[in-house]
Amino acid sequence: MGSDRLLVIGAGPAGLEAARLAASLGSQVLVVEKRDVAGGMPIHENYAALTHGFRDAGEAMSELISAATGHPNVELRTATEVTAVDGSVGDFSVTLSTGTGDETVDAGAIILATGFQHFDPGRETQQYGYYEFPDVITLADAEAMLKANNFVRPSTGEPPERVAFIQCVGSRDRQIGNEFCSKVCCGISSKQAIEVRQQVPDARVFIFYIDMRMYGYWENEIYWPAQEEYRVNYVKGIVTEILSKNGRLLVRGEDTTMGRPMEVPMDVVVLAVGMEPSLGTRKMAEMLGVATNKYGYIETPHGELDTVSTSVPGVFAVGAATGPADLDDSISSAGAAAAKAVALLRGAEVTV
Amino acid sequence: MSRAAPATTFAQRPGATLAPRAYEDVPYEEKLALWEEVKADPRFPDYLYGCYECGICVAACPSARFYDFSPRKIAQAAAREDVELIFEQMNDDVWNCSQCFSCDRCPRQNSPGGLITILREVAVRHGLASSQEALEGYGRVVYKIMTTGTQVSPDMLQPDAFPDWGPDVKEVSDQLDLWRRALPPETLHTTSTGWEVSEKTLLELYLIWHYSDVMDMIEEVDEGLHMIILDVMEETLEEAGYEI
Repeated sequence: MGSDRLLVIGAGPAGLEAARLAASLGSQVLVVEKRDVAGGMPIHENYAALTHGFRDAGEAMSELISAATGHPNVELRTATEVTAVDGSVGDFSVTLSTGTGDETVDAGAIILATGFQHFDPGRETQQYGYYEFPDVITLADAEAMLKANNFVRPSTGEPPERVAFIQCVGSRDRQIGNEFCSKVCCGISSKQAIEVRQQVPDARVFIFYIDMRMYGYWENEIYWPAQEEYRVNYVKGIVTEILSKNGRLLVRGEDTTMGRPMEVPMDVVVLAVGMEPSLGTRKMAEMLGVATNKYGYIETPHGELDTVSTSVPGVFAVGAATGPADLDDSISSAGAAAAKAVALLRGAEVTV
Repeated sequence: MSRAAPATTFAQRPGATLAPRAYEDVPYEEKLALWEEVKADPRFPDYLYGCYECGICVAACPSARFYDFSPRKIAQAAAREDVELIFEQMNDDVWNCSQCFSCDRCPRQNSPGGLITILREVAVRHGLASSQEALEGYGRVVYKIMTTGTQVSPDMLQPDAFPDWGPDVKEVSDQLDLWRRALPPETLHTTSTGWEVSEKTLLELYLIWHYSDVMDMIEEVDEGLHMIILDVMEETLEEAGYEI
């Protein structure tokens, strides 16, 4: 006895988009979200403006949430976790748990949209004092301050005179185990650097980087304006350590293109933390038995031309559950997975 | 032998940036004022957008092959508004550029050579000791250009002045007038100037140098030279009815 319902796990941008599209194509969609509210990281982490179009994150996500949950074919359950999955393609049996009890539902296909979490900069070899110095923050911390239009030194509450971004924190690092590039941090740091200059015009802003990875239009829409209009200083060289001196932060590294060591004072240091698979992504992967790569991301093992099918038939993965992804990527993969899942539910043959 | 690069200092001033230790005795405000003057130049926005620090300009630069000189670092310091370093470059680096503008192949459409033009002009205008030193050997060339409108003249070709030009120089200089008259364009039948310059052209050049600030710049660099040039010019200008 099969089911023609689509289960989407995770109500972030990718999950909501997949649900909205599958519903528009006529399928019944159940979206399960473990947090109390839909919207994923942009809402949970208080993003200010989206990268790369600078659109207000709250406003953009509200539209997507309304579009998805407003569709008669979509049912959204928040504060609900998937705790068991049985069956196989066309006939999954899924146990949902809330604080008050369990319920079992059927589904013909599943889309995993369980996303990422930010790298914890206190981990392992990082010597940036995130838990030691209040003025060392992460991109997510900075988003929240920018959203409140109150970018200050956390230790004093005063506007900073000098702000530094350190790229690749928790990414591209064999010692940490995250050898991959997190793809979005260069763009987000540059976007935030522009926002800092807008909100604190007297601040000098520095970005310390290994390579600036500003793909496609990010180049001319974010990187060049940051440098040319907002006079953000890009310095090739990664900070080795952060110390405290005379009440300020002292960042030590090499100014590689100038060929000299540097020790410069800063008021706020923003760590451009990368992405890691979220706890939900890890748990769901294990529960569904889908293959993951060595970093814990869900594998889409069918090559470049199928970016959403997993190793388990009938289970698709989208967005940052499969690896670092920007919003454009997440939304695109959600569309691909929605189309494939709906086709599968209707009994159509979908080949890779 | 390359000297050790100075460490970037722990700059106490809030406005200071990745600062080297050179010229510590010069007040920061003085350096800043010079930089503000560079930025205020109307050509500046066309010469600097942002710098990738990619080095395409260095690879193209003939001076970079022979001197410890990098057009990248010039653009880079300007893009970073590194006031201390810019001052250092204004003193120690900009005179190594031959102003060939090979560096104009920049993907960001910067012109490091153009920046150097402005940096040099500001350095000269403010009589930086280094600009006086750098231009010391060029007094004769400046005199020639500004009084005759042409640069190196054929009669400067003397075997004792340029021994490295080889043994033929003597023969050519002995018969200079003949050799010059063998050239097809009549305007090149000259020995004391590079080519024939009409009185009208010369008058226009003198006026341009007076009404732009070139004469003031010369005075700032070399007062004696300024006086000699002024003498020559005044006569021509007075004859033409101009009072300077």
